[in-house]
Amino acid sequence: MYGFEAMTFNIHGGYLEAIVRGHRAGLLTTADYNNLCQCESLDDIKMHLSATEYGPYLQNEPSPLHTTTIVEKCTLKLVDDYKHMLCQATEPLSTFLEYITYGHMIDNVVLIVTGTLHERDVQELLEKCHPLGMFDSIATLAVAQNMRELYRLVLVDTPLAPYFSECITSEDLDDMNIEIMRNTLYKAYLEDFYRFCEKLGGATAEIMSDLLAFEADRRAVNITINSIGTELTRDDRRKLYSNFGLLYPYGHEELAVCEDIDQVRAVMEKYPPYQSIFAKLSYGESQMLDKAFYEEEVKRLCLAFEQQFHYAVFFAYMRLREQEIRNLMWISECVAQNQKSRVHDSVVFIF
Amino acid sequence: MSGQTQRLNVVPTVTMLGVVKARLVGATRGHALLKKKSDALTVQFRQILKKIVSTKESMGDIMKTSSFALTEAKYVAGDNIKHVVLENVREASLKVRSRQENVAGVKLPKFEYTNDGEVNKNDLTGLARGGQQVQQCRAAYIKAIEVLVELASLQTSFLTLDEAIKTTNRRVNALENVVKPRLENTISYIKGELDELEREDFFRLKKIQGYKKREIEKQMQSAKMFAEEQVAEKLALQRGISLNNAQNMLSAAAQKDEDIIF
Repeated sequence: MYGFEAMTFNIHGGYLEAIVRGHRAGLLTTADYNNLCQCESLDDIKMHLSATEYGPYLQNEPSPLHTTTIVEKCTLKLVDDYKHMLCQATEPLSTFLEYITYGHMIDNVVLIVTGTLHERDVQELLEKCHPLGMFDSIATLAVAQNMRELYRLVLVDTPLAPYFSECITSEDLDDMNIEIMRNTLYKAYLEDFYRFCEKLGGATAEIMSDLLAFEADRRAVNITINSIGTELTRDDRRKLYSNFGLLYPYGHEELAVCEDIDQVRAVMEKYPPYQSIFAKLSYGESQMLDKAFYEEEVKRLCLAFEQQFHYAVFFAYMRLREQEIRNLMWISECVAQNQKSRVHDSVVFIF
Repeated sequence: MSGQTQRLNVVPTVTMLGVVKARLVGATRGHALLKKKSDALTVQFRQILKKIVSTKESMGDIMKTSSFALTEAKYVAGDNIKHVVLENVREASLKVRSRQENVAGVKLPKFEYTNDGEVNKNDLTGLARGGQQVQQCRAAYIKAIEVLVELASLQTSFLTLDEAIKTTNRRVNALENVVKPRLENTISYIKGELDELEREDFFRLKKIQGYKKREIEKQMQSAKMFAEEQVAEKLALQRGISLNNAQNMLSAAAQKDEDIIF
């Protein structure tokens, strides 16, 4: 029943919600970011980070420090937090938490399949996978010679199985472009996640559907813009759009026929929430679009913490951490490459 | 060092003189030509040096821009974009070819890059996010490759020219300081030897003339003595006195007798 979660939520979810809120309090603030932006070298960054929650992960690193090391260790912290929460969770929270990582799982699967098709070494490929998206039988992906075998042998046991069977027939598997396959899988994943949240009901459904709708719309816009001028046909483009969200179905119809950025802008300006995003860009420019989308996403994710007794806080926390790691990567690269003037171009302050 | 510019060991004949003179002429002409070649190479060298300096500066800027483009791509498309792109590659689409260019007689290698693969219009990397940044990153790195290939050409030409100039200068110096003095010394030695031979001949001639003259005088002397003896013998026969007396008479007759007034 919507409105009465206060009575029963804390029985199963209270401890973990408290943990997540504690982690959220440990996210870097504007003051921290300002300090980091003033750093002159990567050692300064390490020193500043040792005062935050990343301290124990970075203190054992020998200098000279490398930007990839910083990103690796921060991701490690995120993975540790996530695993801790996953262990303590019960149904349906544990399924919810697993859903959050399916996106990374899809990326890992696609990476290993591409690598195997081009005859690369399995061990190297495994090291390049995202840690949040690992599952047990991932190494066996390298054994399969073509897509059909791949599905039959490996993927049928993973949680990704329904995405493969739903949207891809066996002939498609063989000659589909790898990016189209990745995006089709992701579309199926988003729709599945959306249905799951609707089933959960209550505040979770409300907040999550808003967040997932934003994600679906943002992907639709990106796919449109990035496929302008390529050989992707309009029908293929339409197939990659998700079946929910603010833009469904009329926005998708219009986006499918767009041929350049100004047409996309004209379409998007009919929807008030996105109008403000596109207003920030001047005509013909699309570089800042990604940053504008990230900012909007962060705003909505922060709003999720305003309500209590729902699962969306976990999703919001994971996404906010990922954004923070992106910020840290950007700052460290700017410092390492001596481009301090560009630092503020892409750092999105969380609060 | 002066011990080095000795002369060649040759038989000092006129033919050899002609041969060595011809070699000297050849050495002089070769020296002039090589000097010209060395000057031309040095001019090219300086030009290449200037170009290298400017290319290196622009390379620094371009590499900075392209690494930054990579950072932007990583920011938007996720850190994994590097691995995704690497795994998706079949073979290189930009290839470098080398060919030889002839500059003032020296073969310099030159690299140029060609775009072998078709421009991948179907490249959908980063379709859902970051596609634009990935394409921009690729454009930035293509420019970086152009500059790097040019810089590689210039640097190899630089090294090759350097070697060539050193060799040419070595030859010029060798001709100037070793070969020509040696040949000149040989020529002067041959001339000296020839003169000496001539002098020897002359001397020998004169000596022989001297001998001949003395021979003739000796013969004249002996002839005179013989003639005197003949006259003494005749006198001895006429007067019936001994030869000695005859001789004495002759010699006395040759002397003035006080007793004889007329």
